[in-house]
Amino acid sequence: MAEGRQPFVLWRHLNKLRWLVLCLVLATLVLLPLVHLYQTYVAAHAYDLLAPEEKRLYDVMEMLTAPLVDDPAEDLDAIKGTTWSGTFWSLRLTDPLAALGQIAAGLGFHWPFLLTALIPLAVTAVFGRIFCGWICPATLIYELNSNFASWLRWAGLDLGNRRFDLRLKYAVLVLGLVLSAASGVVLVATIYPPAIIGRELYYVIALGGFGAGTVFFLVTLLFDLLVARRGFCRYLCPGGALYSLLGRFRLVRIRRLVENCNDCAKCNVICEFGLDPMADGFGQECNNCTACIAICPTAALTFTIRPSDVAAQGPGHLGREHRRPPEVAGP
Amino acid sequence: MRVVGAAAAAAALPSPAAAAPGRPSLRYLRPPGGLAEKEFLARCIRCGQCGENCPNRSIKFFGFENGWASAETPHLIPRQKACILCMKCGDACPTGALKPIARELGAILAEVRMGRARVDESLCLSFQGKTCGVCYRACPLPDVAITVGRLEQPHVTDKCVGCGLCERSCIQLPQAIRIIPDHG
Repeated sequence: MAEGRQPFVLWRHLNKLRWLVLCLVLATLVLLPLVHLYQTYVAAHAYDLLAPEEKRLYDVMEMLTAPLVDDPAEDLDAIKGTTWSGTFWSLRLTDPLAALGQIAAGLGFHWPFLLTALIPLAVTAVFGRIFCGWICPATLIYELNSNFASWLRWAGLDLGNRRFDLRLKYAVLVLGLVLSAASGVVLVATIYPPAIIGRELYYVIALGGFGAGTVFFLVTLLFDLLVARRGFCRYLCPGGALYSLLGRFRLVRIRRLVENCNDCAKCNVICEFGLDPMADGFGQECNNCTACIAICPTAALTFTIRPSDVAAQGPGHLGREHRRPPEVAGP
Repeated sequence: MRVVGAAAAAAALPSPAAAAPGRPSLRYLRPPGGLAEKEFLARCIRCGQCGENCPNRSIKFFGFENGWASAETPHLIPRQKACILCMKCGDACPTGALKPIARELGAILAEVRMGRARVDESLCLSFQGKTCGVCYRACPLPDVAITVGRLEQPHVTDKCVGCGLCERSCIQLPQAIRIIPDHG
């Protein structure tokens, strides 16, 4: 690797940061219903009537939040919601799929709501499908599930590893929107894992029981485990499809430095979304998760700022195929 | 004349059957400020922020018990937990499925239309000569939405917004005062 270009040294550590962000998002989604429970206890002025475990929750939450707020019942309303639609002080953010689903269901434009999807839209236009890799609370669980599947394979279990057409999810997106329009109901909300996770965590923590969404999510986990690796995200997720389309001309993307690449194909194996980094095949589906950068042994993957992928550059210059091309090696 | 009267009563007080097509026995309210049912279902993205802002945890969410169309949508069952008219859910709703309504008497009377209470005089203790008045005491809009006469007999006025606190508090079983939902 004597020659020229090297990726910036921090890029290969972004994957750790990504795991940290995913854990923080999921922890927040667990914490918010607990905070809400605490708020309801405060609002009811009923500390003496609480059960012992409720008292414990009250005490812990009071200890955690007392330095931050004067009036828990009001001030803790600042952060509410989930990744599907959330409120941070006065800033509201909404998943673009929610906005599109509402447009389809109502066949109209309710601008105060649609504008809340603007920031996620802009971020997706620049960074691509990063919601899928960096924020989605389901991603953390799906990725752990994927790792679990690889342990099972390592232990000798013959789990399914089928591949379908990646374009299947665009059909799911279109179908979901058409059915939303036909029924007048935002149907995509009920089959979209991040929305399900946020809701179900609230149901189970604050309302005391899982809903139907948990069953759906468990089925998708089983599908991933037994049929296709990361199958739901790759082939079925309507939100993933929308983010892929929105991120088609993203500015920040991963590219291969052909002079550093030795064709080891670790990037293709690690890629959760079944892409082909080794042959410059990132496309619109790459979510900039940086797992390929982290695993690359020869520092051949880096970030670049350009609206399209680098054209296929052929075999890596450190690889066997490049050093001994067929016409030279042959007799 | 009787037929006309019955038709007028049916128009004024939608029957539970009209309110919940999926399950006629299910009598639920939408949170205050909710749009008419059809528009509500088209607007609501099932984010759950109304429930997460409800300081009384009054707002529950449907599974499939009211049909697939209203799965995961917010509702209240007044006998279990009623609305305290804090109006936080409307402020929290990002979609406009729940209108934001100011927490003041005029705005609440003008815009909240969750339903209307109806007294079953054959069940009501006060109408049986046993002075009760619990519903009147529970009402957040006493003398506006509900007035009491002799023996604390409750009379619901047409200003009632249908919060359900009277039904929640009724000491009779089955409850003598119920909210007839108004789903628009």
